[in-house]
Amino acid sequence: MKRLVVLTLVVGLVVAAAVAATFGSAAPSRGLSPHAKLPPKPKLPALPAAVKARGKWQIGVKCDTPPFGWQDTSGKNRGYDVEVARQFAKWAFGSTSKVDFTCVTTASRIGTLTSGRVDIIISTLTWTADRERTIDFSVPYYNATGRLLVKNDVTVGKLNNWMPGKKIVSTSGSIYDRWTKNCFKNTSFQVVSSPAAGVLAVKNGQADAMMYDDAFLVGVAANDNSLKLSSNIFLKVPWGIGIRKNEADMKRWVDAAVRGMRSRDMFWSILKRTIPRRFWKGFKTNAPSPTIKLQYPRSDPPENNCPS
Amino acid sequence: MFHRAVRILASFEWSVIWDNRGPLWDGFKSTMKAGVVGIVLAYAIGLALGAVRAHRLPALNQLAATYVELIRNTPILVQIFFLYYGLPVLGIHLETFTVAWLSITIWGGAFMTENFRAGFEAVPNRLREAGYALGFSPLRAFLNVTLPIGGRIALPSTINTAISVLKNTSLLLLIGYPELTYVANNVQSNTFRTFEMFTALAIAYLAIVWTLSALIRFLERRLALPEAL
Amino acid sequence: MIPDWFRPIAEYMLREGLPETLRLAAIALIASVLVGVLLGTLMTLRFGPLRWLIRLYVEVWRGLPILVTILFIYWLPGYDIGPWHVQLNAYMSAALALSLWGSAQVAEATRGAVQSIPKEQHEAAAALGFGWTSRQAFVILPQALRRLLPPMVGLLVNIIQNTTIAFAIGVNEFLQAGTRQFENVTSGLTGQVAPSYAPFAIFGFVALVFFLICFPLTRLAAYLEKRLT
Repeated sequence: MKRLVVLTLVVGLVVAAAVAATFGSAAPSRGLSPHAKLPPKPKLPALPAAVKARGKWQIGVKCDTPPFGWQDTSGKNRGYDVEVARQFAKWAFGSTSKVDFTCVTTASRIGTLTSGRVDIIISTLTWTADRERTIDFSVPYYNATGRLLVKNDVTVGKLNNWMPGKKIVSTSGSIYDRWTKNCFKNTSFQVVSSPAAGVLAVKNGQADAMMYDDAFLVGVAANDNSLKLSSNIFLKVPWGIGIRKNEADMKRWVDAAVRGMRSRDMFWSILKRTIPRRFWKGFKTNAPSPTIKLQYPRSDPPENNCPS
Repeated sequence: MFHRAVRILASFEWSVIWDNRGPLWDGFKSTMKAGVVGIVLAYAIGLALGAVRAHRLPALNQLAATYVELIRNTPILVQIFFLYYGLPVLGIHLETFTVAWLSITIWGGAFMTENFRAGFEAVPNRLREAGYALGFSPLRAFLNVTLPIGGRIALPSTINTAISVLKNTSLLLLIGYPELTYVANNVQSNTFRTFEMFTALAIAYLAIVWTLSALIRFLERRLALPEAL
Repeated sequence: MIPDWFRPIAEYMLREGLPETLRLAAIALIASVLVGVLLGTLMTLRFGPLRWLIRLYVEVWRGLPILVTILFIYWLPGYDIGPWHVQLNAYMSAALALSLWGSAQVAEATRGAVQSIPKEQHEAAAALGFGWTSRQAFVILPQALRRLLPPMVGLLVNIIQNTTIAFAIGVNEFLQAGTRQFENVTSGLTGQVAPSYAPFAIFGFVALVFFLICFPLTRLAAYLEKRLT
């Protein structure tokens, strides 16, 4: 009996000491700049066994959507999403080259993930409640808004007045695909095989407008003086990293990594590396940072949010 | 292995085909629309250019030969993209359906040209000479002798080309034309019912292809030229 | 002579895309010939059920559009065989689909070639004391294979062109490489600039390279055909 009491006391002391230690290390960092105090690599949970055994990541990224995922003429994958993937490789295995990229399209990315061909997808994937029934999303890593790309001589005004009878293009399976078919029954929606094909459809008069993420369209409109963005802004929903369901260890790791990148303001650096300088000001608020926290609109699923 | 096959068959959800019958039927109609237009126009091109080639009409013969060799030695998908992305640069703005049937027409026309050329050239010379002896002009000789007989000879191979044109409509999904394969692939990616969708597609395509192939065999027997010719 | 904007694109296409295309075509050709000749020879046996089974194989894989086959194979959920999870990646799915189609073509051609060997050959060989297997191996097959050579070269041309269908599942073959750069250039967001005639340049280049590969092969097939008859 006496031995039991002693044992309990010792265990209790050890636990108290451990708790005090953690409190002790956390206390000094409050009040000082969190940025300065953070070590270069955050404390990450255990890497999922399959990835660890392989020694590198297999990540699905876009190859047709600059500046987020594309391939340059040397065959190298580049873009915001790709940089996030490389950071994961660095933190998991110590080198940015420990990742194999698989090209996915808007239409094929979820199927590629669920069929087990890649570990995760970082591919301009907007959160929707519908998609969350099939896959899990990490915490947000980029904020995007929907915009309309039109020819210069077109005035759009209110969406509800302008959309009926018009021809809109976007990529197959995108959030815009769903939203247009949901909210604008009298609008003709056509899919294109890639964002570039959509731009060409508008330019050549085969469509009235292209609906896509601001990040891509702003750049296109800036480079092409026959096209412009209408002032309508809709579907402001963050992107997440796609993770298969029932892979809690993967989600834990990815969430911790995204949070770690966010608190170290790494997303802003990546944005500056991948997007031309003149767009920095407009896109600064799209990247999560120590002062900008992104959240999914869980209480108000976007694809059912038809304009009144 | 056999048990696995039985298990797969038992878990077939035929309802997914029924539930999506609307879009699938629309896709089938789109396939047939582009396909039939393409086949009919390809026949027209094949007849005209086949005659040009068989009769070795100067200048036109070389042009036709160049057309045929270009189309036969490049992949059809490249031709489709070339038209879809290239024509707008020239100021020619066509809707997707037009590019769809136009590209398979140009492809099919080249093969039909060769089919008809072989058919026309297989018509025995003495028949044409008989026509001239009767006072036919070259044009009438062609219309009354070469065309009916050569056309019959060419019929099986032209139907084969027509089958290929129909099968190639599936490639049009890559320019956003919502034909049957596109719809089935969409349903498959949303519902994960790959087997069921593939079965539906297989039934649709094989039904058409096998029917037309049977037609070829039937025609080969019925239209066989008597040996005496 | 090559414009500045086009040079890196062309190099990318030739470096990354063309080897994939050629490798895919080589694998598909070898598999098609090996499996096809085997199946074709087996089809000439007098064993009903086997003939029927092989006939089904041939009619299905020849009758379906290759795109449908490729999509189905790629999107099939993986299978767990023992400790391994078997699922074909894009490249292998494309190789398998092309091989299924190619072997069906070869099987049909082989059957035709074997059955076209006159009965006298069989009888003469039997009279000389050749058993069935040695008859096939030393008398029938060599002659059949010689007759197969022209269509085999034609098949190679078709396989090379059909590798572009792998585009649909993201294989980085020659056409995909070109299209990717075309998308970069169109978006204007990658620092690459291109004139408005870029589609003609890029897709024209794809067509040109395919033509340079396929045209000599087509001529070779025609020459071999003439040599045979």
